[in-house]
Amino acid sequence: MPVERSERATALIERLPQKVNRQMMLSLEACVHCGLCSDQCHYVLANPGDVTYAPAYKADRIRKLFKAHIDWSGRVAPWWVGARSVYRDEELEELKDTVFGKCTNCRRCTMNCPMGVDMATFNRMARGLLVHVGVMPDGVAHVAKDQWEIGNQMGVLPEDYLGTLTWMEQELQSEYNDPEIKIPVDKPDADVLYTINPREAKYDPRTIAEAAIIFHFAGENWTMSTEGWDMTNFGLFNGDDELGGAVSARVYDTMTRLRARKLVISECGHGFRSTRCEGPNWAKRDLSFPMESAIFTMLNYIKEGRIQVDKSRNPEPVTYHDSCNLARSCGITEEPRELLQLVCSDFREMHPNRAENFCCTGGGGAMSMTEYAPRRLQSAKIKAEQLRATGAKTVVTSCHNCVDGLFDLIRHYKLDMEVKLLVNLVAKAMVVPQAAVAEVMPTVVEVVQPVMQLAGRKILVVDDEPDVRAYLRAIFEEQGAQVVDVPDCNQAMRAIESDRPDLMTLDLIMPHKTGDKLYWDLRKDPNYANLPVVIITGYMRMEAPGIDFHRFIAEKNLPAPEGFLEKPIQPEAVLALVAGIVGKRVSLHK
Amino acid sequence: MYQTSPLLQFAENQLQIIALLFMAVVYALKIRWIFRFPEGKDRQAPGGKGAIGAAKGAKTSLLAIAMPWTMASTRNHGLLYAQFVVFHLGVAASIAMSFLIPYAPGLMRGPGAVLALQALFGLAALVGVVRLVRRLGSPYLRAISSPDDYFSLGLLIVWLAFSALAAPNRGEAAEWPLTAYFLLTAFFLIYVPFSKISHYIYYPFARWYLGRTLGHRGSYPLVKGA
Repeated sequence: MPVERSERATALIERLPQKVNRQMMLSLEACVHCGLCSDQCHYVLANPGDVTYAPAYKADRIRKLFKAHIDWSGRVAPWWVGARSVYRDEELEELKDTVFGKCTNCRRCTMNCPMGVDMATFNRMARGLLVHVGVMPDGVAHVAKDQWEIGNQMGVLPEDYLGTLTWMEQELQSEYNDPEIKIPVDKPDADVLYTINPREAKYDPRTIAEAAIIFHFAGENWTMSTEGWDMTNFGLFNGDDELGGAVSARVYDTMTRLRARKLVISECGHGFRSTRCEGPNWAKRDLSFPMESAIFTMLNYIKEGRIQVDKSRNPEPVTYHDSCNLARSCGITEEPRELLQLVCSDFREMHPNRAENFCCTGGGGAMSMTEYAPRRLQSAKIKAEQLRATGAKTVVTSCHNCVDGLFDLIRHYKLDMEVKLLVNLVAKAMVVPQAAVAEVMPTVVEVVQPVMQLAGRKILVVDDEPDVRAYLRAIFEEQGAQVVDVPDCNQAMRAIESDRPDLMTLDLIMPHKTGDKLYWDLRKDPNYANLPVVIITGYMRMEAPGIDFHRFIAEKNLPAPEGFLEKPIQPEAVLALVAGIVGKRVSLHK
Repeated sequence: MYQTSPLLQFAENQLQIIALLFMAVVYALKIRWIFRFPEGKDRQAPGGKGAIGAAKGAKTSLLAIAMPWTMASTRNHGLLYAQFVVFHLGVAASIAMSFLIPYAPGLMRGPGAVLALQALFGLAALVGVVRLVRRLGSPYLRAISSPDDYFSLGLLIVWLAFSALAAPNRGEAAEWPLTAYFLLTAFFLIYVPFSKISHYIYYPFARWYLGRTLGHRGSYPLVKGA
């Protein structure tokens, strides 16, 4: 009896022929199943014996569909050529698990396929098919929604973005005692329009300030913009060409609106690839303005003598991690090394490197798919071994995704190492012109010993977003706290029992069990009812009506949490709140 | 005086021509099918340093198979690469022999040439067996292998073995190796377009497009790890 096909499976199959172009069709046909790709994938190397991670195996999940519906040999004799269609939603879930959860689209297998099969490209195509029928990890859905609706993939609101730029401008003016230092916004006819990754505005604003001070001392005529400032593009990760085109077009339109001469893309592998390489195709635009990575901009400033650098200011041993998108898909391998040789004094090569480097494991949108975090970290073993072998204390990369992926694996594998971007090193090595120094000097009248507001305190951070965990960890650790962070409520409960924190920050929207449920469990349990909790959530009530926290605690007659913050959060605000709470209260375990 | 049997005569002449024509028609249809898929357009500006470019990328990509040092997969698996070379040389030589025996037997007359061909076919058949054992033994390969993968490999092993037997081209001593070889060749020619063996039709297109795209953006030829 024929199996009835589900609505979603039908829609996916109907969409398939529209997504297969000639290059993709050739990749789907050309595989000879030689298996040479197997040991080129970090997932395979870290999970020996599990065939489901092998690139050819993963590619075959998609190839079977192609054979069943497009290649006539698969329609005539499906069992003979391994063709198989999809019928049930469970099969779509299995496909989702493969194309989202077992591949970062790093393209290492593609580069090592003797037949030239571009597995990463049709893996992306399969993601796009699934997204089209609404089958995708929750994190992918959230991020894509933010980029469609708010205009950037981290949901940074315009007032927060502009506020951050103002804050950084003030910091720089105060640091250099120079009111002329500006972060221009929407300045017409600038030579450079600088676009960033929203992660910078939300979690790492210092990189914006560092870029700004480099532009300032280079004498650049530059600007940022109120619209189209996000050069990242989740369309690359979720396979949605329409999203890819819309996001790229926002940036291109901003270039036109401001009549800027050159688009400079801050350090981000997928952002550069999306905006510089794939964007014109997705947006169907023939562009006349040049685009370059900030790597080239900084390198040229040094080469042209526009800024001076002193490499002895970065004396620690440094290695470089090539982002997959920059090295394999955009050919940027030598310029970062040239730059590193100029700004640090002990550069050590990682092996393998350049186009043969292994993925950071955070690529392909992996950082937004928290359900796959355990397998991501397991597969990161290969990268951890690479890093450890260098003996470096700092791994530099030129990609914000890689920063997060590397940060996570460094912690997981307990490596004695930190992650930095090139801009961090360039800014640190930059020699400030004497005139500016002279102005700065008089203001340094005394050295204030920092007060460690959280010294001796233990804080538990519960959030499914690695970025947020890293951000909060950095804030609390800087103030002397011991931080434990976990990605879900089950692990949080175990951490509360074993680590006995003085305070917990709690996200609300998390997979498996939401934060409000954990809050309820805690408040009902006499052992933990007094544990101070600060809710830190990125979802307003109207966006997540199922989790209206204030209504929830009112209905359950629960006490209010000690603090409640909505993302994006400013470090001062969270620090003031947390320090205030732990300062007042004695830990219930003491 | 030795007289070639009507079956062998038919097998090495008319049957081969029919099979070749059939293969040519199917291949023409396949190529037409390839071009029915829209070509993905590339609007991005050229990237990388001037020395690369789309043309160089495409050319290097096409020749990648002859440059095992350029890919970690072939560089680190030298024995597998050597097997690939022997196997494909054996197949190419056997195809050539199917033309030489009926139309230019003089070119294969010397004992040295026959011995060399037999050694090549024997070695290629042996490699085929090794590949079959590998395919059956490796869980990774088993998981991706279809019946066509096994059958195609088996067919080539048998065909190469009969190629070794047919190479002396001595019908007067025994016709069956020649007859079997030509019948197998005809079957091979007819079956190939429907099997994975037709990968060589896709190879130049797939590599050309990949090399052209990546060469245009400056990331191919690859910068090998230092």
